Order: sequence, then C-alpha cells, then structure tokens
Amino acid sequence: MGVVAETAATPTSPGTRMIGYVFRRILIALPVLAGVLLVVFILVRILPGEPCTAILGERATAESCERFNEANGLNESLPVQLGIYAQRVVTGDFGDSIRFSRPVSQILIERLPVTLELSASALALAILVGVPLGVLAARRHNTVIDVGAMTVANVGVSMPIFWLGLLLAYLFAIVLGNTPFALPVSGRMPPGVRPDNFWEVWGLELGDEGFVSAAAEFISNMEIVNALISAQWSEMWVAIKHLILPTIALATIPMAIIARMTRSSLLDVLQRDYVRTARAKGAGERRVVRHHALRNALLPVVTVIGLQLGGLLGGAVLTETVFGLAGIGTALYEAISTRDFPIIQGFTVIIAATYVVVNLVVDVSYGYLDPRVRLR
Amino acid sequence: MRRRMRWLALLAILALVAAACGGDGTTETTTGDTSAPSTSAAPDTTPPDTEPPTTDTTAAPPSGELASVGVESCDAEDYEGTIQSIEATDELTVVYTLCGPDPAFLAKLAFVPFAVQPAAHLEATGGAPLDNPIGTGPFMIEEGGWARGSEIVMARYEDYWGDAPAFDNLVFRWAAESTSRILELQSGNANYITNLAASDYETIEGDANLQLLNDPNPNVFYVGMANTFEPFDDPLVRQAVAMGIDRQRIVDNFYPEGSEVADYFTPCNIANGCEGEPWYEFDPEAAQALLAEAGFPDGFETTISYRDVFRVYLPEPGAVATELATQLEENLGITATVEEIESGAFIEATSVGAQDGIHLLGWGADYPHVTNFLDTHFTGPQFGDTIPELVDLLAQGASTIDEAEAAPIYAQANDLLREHVPMMPIAHGAAADAALATLEGAVVPPFGAPKFADMDPGSDTLVFYQNAEPISLFCHDETDGESLSACEQVLEGLYEYDETGTPVPLLAESCEPNEDGTVWTCTLREGVTFHDGSPLTASDVVTSFAVGIDAANPLHVGNTGGFEYYAYLWGGLMNAPPAEG
Repeated sequence: MGVVAETAATPTSPGTRMIGYVFRRILIALPVLAGVLLVVFILVRILPGEPCTAILGERATAESCERFNEANGLNESLPVQLGIYAQRVVTGDFGDSIRFSRPVSQILIERLPVTLELSASALALAILVGVPLGVLAARRHNTVIDVGAMTVANVGVSMPIFWLGLLLAYLFAIVLGNTPFALPVSGRMPPGVRPDNFWEVWGLELGDEGFVSAAAEFISNMEIVNALISAQWSEMWVAIKHLILPTIALATIPMAIIARMTRSSLLDVLQRDYVRTARAKGAGERRVVRHHALRNALLPVVTVIGLQLGGLLGGAVLTETVFGLAGIGTALYEAISTRDFPIIQGFTVIIAATYVVVNLVVDVSYGYLDPRVRLR
Repeated sequence: MRRRMRWLALLAILALVAAACGGDGTTETTTGDTSAPSTSAAPDTTPPDTEPPTTDTTAAPPSGELASVGVESCDAEDYEGTIQSIEATDELTVVYTLCGPDPAFLAKLAFVPFAVQPAAHLEATGGAPLDNPIGTGPFMIEEGGWARGSEIVMARYEDYWGDAPAFDNLVFRWAAESTSRILELQSGNANYITNLAASDYETIEGDANLQLLNDPNPNVFYVGMANTFEPFDDPLVRQAVAMGIDRQRIVDNFYPEGSEVADYFTPCNIANGCEGEPWYEFDPEAAQALLAEAGFPDGFETTISYRDVFRVYLPEPGAVATELATQLEENLGITATVEEIESGAFIEATSVGAQDGIHLLGWGADYPHVTNFLDTHFTGPQFGDTIPELVDLLAQGASTIDEAEAAPIYAQANDLLREHVPMMPIAHGAAADAALATLEGAVVPPFGAPKFADMDPGSDTLVFYQNAEPISLFCHDETDGESLSACEQVLEGLYEYDETGTPVPLLAESCEPNEDGTVWTCTLREGVTFHDGSPLTASDVVTSFAVGIDAANPLHVGNTGGFEYYAYLWGGLMNAPPAEG
C-alpha cells in the first residue's frame, strides 16, 4: 500500500490514481484518529488526581466534588463517558472545557493559529537555512566549511529549546536592549496593541456564530496573516518582531537535522553514476548539483521535514512557555495539569490529524520529486 | 473493488466535511449535554420529597423590591452553613443574620469572591459574567478588553467614587516562567511582576532599576503525622520527631531571605496566633530518650510523602523531604523513604487522615484570622483522631468576638498542639514581587492582590505580569490567585484589607454587630455607581451574595458551579441538593 515504484502500465490516469490514493489514506486515518482518541481518553482518566481538586482547588469539599462530577458527567462509568463523548465527536463537537466552561473548538480557534504561525515560521526557517547549509557542506566536503557547518548543526541539535530560548531572550532583551537589535521576548503583540481584524478593515460584518465567522476569527488570530491581508504594515512588522526569537528557538533543532540529512543525502547522490556522467558531459558543478543531484537528494530530506513538523508541535510547548505565547502547547500543558479532559482529548486529536495530513502531503510529494516514484 | 473503495472514500470525505462544518460547537445545544456546569445545582436534580427549606430562590428581585436570601432555620437538615439570612432592609442597608457569633465575619467579608455586581447584570448574563464583570472598582473592563491568551486591558473608571488612578490603562499579562517575567521587567516592558523565584532575589536586589517588594502573606509549612497509624499513634514518638528536627537548618538551606522558623502553627502577624508556649527547641538527645521510652531505641522505618508543587510555604518540596529523611536518620535513627505523590491524590489522602507516615504540607492564609489556621486543620480528620479538648477550645474561640477575651483560649489551644503534636510547624516562607524602581507606591499587601490604582508608573499605562491567565473574571466562582488578582482591580466588596491585613470599610460605611455578634448591619456608602452607570444598592449586595451562596438560586451558575469559597468560608451552601449516596 502506498507509494511504490511503478512496475506495470495501468488503464487509469495518474490524476485518478492520486485521488483514489488520497481517499484511501484518509480512510485509513479515521481508525488511527479513533485509536488516538481512545488511548488518550483512557490514559487521562487513569492518571492519578481528580479534575475536581485540580480545578476547584485544594479547599474543595467532598460535596462540591460530588456536584462537580455530576455536572460534568464524571461519575458515569467509563464506557458511558466514552459513548457520550464519541457521539459528540462524530458531529464535530469536542465538548466544553471543564475549567473554562467554553467550547473546546472555540479555544482551539484562539490557540491553534498561534502555534501554526510559530511552527510554520520555524519550519520555513529550518528549511531555508538547513537545506543550503547541508548543500554547502556537501559541496565543500571535508573542508573547513563542511566541518564548520556540521559543528553548527551538531551544536544546534543538542541545544535544549528551553535554555536556548532564555539565552536568546536575555541577549536580545537585556544585552541588546537599548540598541536597534532589541527584540520583544513575550506575547504576540506589545501590551495594549490590538490590530484590527481583517474583515473590519475590509468593511465586512460577520455574525457571532457559524462556520464563516469561526474561520475568519481563526485567520485573524494569525497576527501576521491578519495584518498582511488587511495591509496593516506597521502591525505586521511588530507581529514579525515578536515571532523572531521563538522562531529561532524552535527552528534550531529541525534546522540542524535537516542540514545533516541534506548533506549526507547529497553526498550519496553526488557519487552516483548519472552524476559522474553529467560531469563527464561537461556540466558545471553548480548545474550538476542544482539540476541533477539535489532533486533526488531531497527525497529523504522531505521525509525528515514531515517528521519534524510533529517535533515542532511538541517543541512548541517549551517555546510557547518561554516566550509567553498562548498556543496549543501551553493550553495542552495546562489542561493536563488540571485534568481538563475535553481539552486534552480535543487538542490531541487535532495534533494527530495534523500529523496524518502532513505525512500524507509528504507521501504525495514523493511523486513530484522523483519521477520514478508513482502510485500503483 | 476499486470502485467500491472510491465510494467509501467519498462518503468518508463527506463525513469529515460535515464534521468540520459542525465543529464550531457554539451553535449546537444538545439536551443531553452532560458537561454543562450550569446544571450542577439545578433544582431538578433534587428529589421532590427531599427539597430543602427555602425562603427565597428568586434570581434577582423585581425593580424596587428589596432582595433577601436565607434558610428557614440554621438547624435545618443538610445545612451546615453559618449564615441564616441576608436582607436588604432599605436602599443602603444590608443585614446579615448569622447562625452564631463569628469573630472572623469582617475578615471573610473583605475577600474578593464576595464582591458586588449589579443584580441586573447578573441576571442578564444568566449568573455567569465570566469575562465581562461590572463592578464599582477603579478600573473597568470594556468590551473586548480580555484578549484570551494574550492580555486583559482595563481602563480607568472615570466616575470612580474614590481617588482616581494616576494612569489610564492597566494591562494584565502572564508568563509561567519567573525568568521570563524578570526579563520583561528588566527590559522595561513590565512595571510590576509577581511570584519571584527565590533564586531571583539577588538579581532584583543587584539591579538599581528595580525594587524588591516583600510579600507578607501569612503561611506555614508543617510536617503532619496522622495518629491513626503506627508508630505515630504514640504521642511520645510524635514529640520525639518534634524535638529531633533542626528546623533552622531547613529554613537556612531551602527558604529565601526573610523566611523564619515557625514557633507556632499560626504566623504571629495574625492576632492570637502566637499565644501560649513556643514550639520545642531542637534537642536530639531528649528526642532520642523519648523515642527509647516509646520502645524505639533504634528508630523505625517510615515514609515521608509530599507533592511536587511549588508553594511559598514550601518552595522546594523534594529537597526538603530528602533533608528531613537525612535528619531523621542522623538524629533519631529513623529510616524514612521519600515518596512523591500526585498533588490531587495527595491532598485527597491527607485531608481525611489517610496518609500513613509523615507528610509535608502547608497553608497560605485566606483571611486574617486565627480560625483560618487552627479551625481549618484541627477540627477535622487530617491528623487522624481529633483532640477533643482542642476542638472544644477552638469552638469557644470561634464564637468569642472580643480579641483580648479570646487570647487565653488560643494560648491553651497552642499548648495542646505542642503537647499532642499532630504536626510540627517548620517554617513561615517569605515571598516577593518586583517592580521598576520608577513605580511609585508599589506595595504588596498581606491579603489580596496589589492595589494598582494606588500606584503611579509615571506613564499612562501600567503593565503587570503574573504567573498565568485568569480562568474567568467571575470571581464568585474562582479560587485561583490569578483570577482573583484581576477581579480585585475591577470589583469591590463591602470591606477590603488594608496594608496591615486589617479589614476596613470599602463599599460599606460600616458594618456593626449586635451584642452577641450574630447580626451584622452594614450601611452602604452613598453615591457609588457601577461601571454601567447604575447606582449601588443593598439589593445588589444581597443578590451578588445570593448568587454564590444559594444553590437553588437560578443564577447560581458561575464557571464550574462550585462556588468554593462560599461553601468553604461560610460553612456550606444554602439550599444545596443533598449529595448522592
């Protein structure tokens, strides 16, 4: 199943095969997500500690806890709780947070954009720096540049995000505090600054509820995107400045991994016969690397990039904590501390779904990177 | 086969799209919604034949009518509360009738969960103004003031009845890490930060641009020993432990500057807290002799349990547990195994005296009265069987209004604690906040949040960083310090705590007790208006209280529906449905 080398001609077109493949992958993803949900549902309930004392506080009386559990359906048997929850999830309702009495989906709309913006910028930085660094190291194999680049990569991969984040914050907020290089160390915007929502700038009126309103709010919560599409340039610059340090902190490890993978993959490809042939035909080194070797060398790199996205979502917990960003990482961490089951379950499923989608995109992208790889 | 798979895939996609379209979650209401907290105390969960007595369960009184709430009798079955009724007797008078004298009445009343909001607003929000509180305080929250996840912006209330703040906007932000908060302060992005880690004191003191602000909130860290487990059922063993631990060494090594060894369970800045004999001096020889007399000349094996949660009274739980184990081994030959327990499970076990061995716990004061320390701990099962003489004395103290008259009672109570050693008080932990040196008037009160309205940042905005985001701004139904801090800037009650922790009138001109302290008559300040422009009335005061304390009130909704401080500080909720089982 999945991506294989084509061995025989088939009557169906590549486009149809691709659609069928994507459908099959989505079908496979459904039981995976159901499994994730089941495991998380059970795991959070077998953890020691009750939501009542975690949420109502240490002074909570037995009577309060009884009422609390009843109100939140926590005194039902596990199968009944699971049945009720599953029934809601299939209709797209992840329930209400026990701690905040707000829909999980609403909290997701507020939190996910922050993590997406952070992860996307970190992934972009990791790719934009990691791939060229790996290429440079491979092209200058066994030179000072190669050793230097790989030393940087090794340092990067072994640096704890938490420590690096605090170090960056100290450097850019305190040491360079009174210089033009000073950068903000927490939040998405300065205190009291609120860019207008893009739909307000566009002169649109949205209702309080509904899919369109939720989608608009979701987009608006991505500060950079919101400022970009509504041409609020100064706000966009401020939003970018607030994202620089967390992006660097989060990107360092994947950047180092991508650089190392690019280097080793490219070194391997550069020793292949067809590369030697290209060189023998008089192609310049730059052309050999760019047109003949790099595209093939990127196949394992793309796999690694896909895997890194999962790491970025996980690493976001620490980055968001250090830089005071209200993303899904911090929300999930707080929810686990307070046994807020609906948030833990809902957010975990969303993260798992993101992971599934990214892996699907990675698999599909193989076919475009390597013409020999096709779907059966 | 392939064709069938395509159809299946198409159906799956349609299902996903349908799920996504319904994913907003804000437009659907199912009748079987088991997670809606509003149903927690709904009257329909009470069987008709067991419905408790009710005198008034209306949400808010019709305009012009005076509100009241109460129970028919304090002796009613299933009612353990200490308030019989609260009535508005005219536009500016509220009468609290208690089930018995309560010397801590004003100290409790000044707590922010008992603040006042307009009855009409409570009704309009269905008893759950979670993010749009309307108060009488110096700051108000305008629509959209709370950007969830980011900050709360509060604007100066221009018609405030008291002295207007010197600046326009107060911004609440949060960062979980102490280091992050300090960086914000050092970089000038924050004016005031809270909850410094002990290791950061030096950083603040060494920076001329910053000021260290000591937090005098009373607290105690103690070592508990439930007397229902061997060998701690023998008072000699407990006394031996009490004498065999060098508490000064613990304070010196694990507590920040300003912390002190606890000579009494109750800190001495609480009236009557330090009456009677102080705790035992460290005397390992005497301790060994006691242990030998108890039949354990070579010690015994036990456990030291704790939860790994930072508190001002116990900043380094794991390290202190290990230190205790070391001292028990060195000084008494007792071999103790250190055991970390998950916080919720730990609290659950210790609160009912079900934790074997030695447990590490502490207490931070809720209100400034000795009852908050002694009654809370020694009238229940936390340390196993209670000490009957002590329980009697505490009941006597808790009904003695006159402080001086109560002093000898608490002296005897403290002496009994020293004799029976249900626990050993170890330390009163110090805490501190920090601010820019340019922030004028920065003070940390012993109770409640800093009063930012009394400070002057020298600019139009004051930025405050705390540990975490408030859960909601309806503090009737919140217990976390972060929510209460934000509420205190917006909401006001009849009383507040001054800089020494003494309750002083705020929205009340005064509250006067009758002769036996069972009826308190509070006269409200005239000319006070809420942020929506409506005038403060006695009915607003009663309705605000009723929403929290009366479980049968239709507006008793809140966030979780727990209204924990109403249940805990006033002995229980009125008209609560009986617990199952």
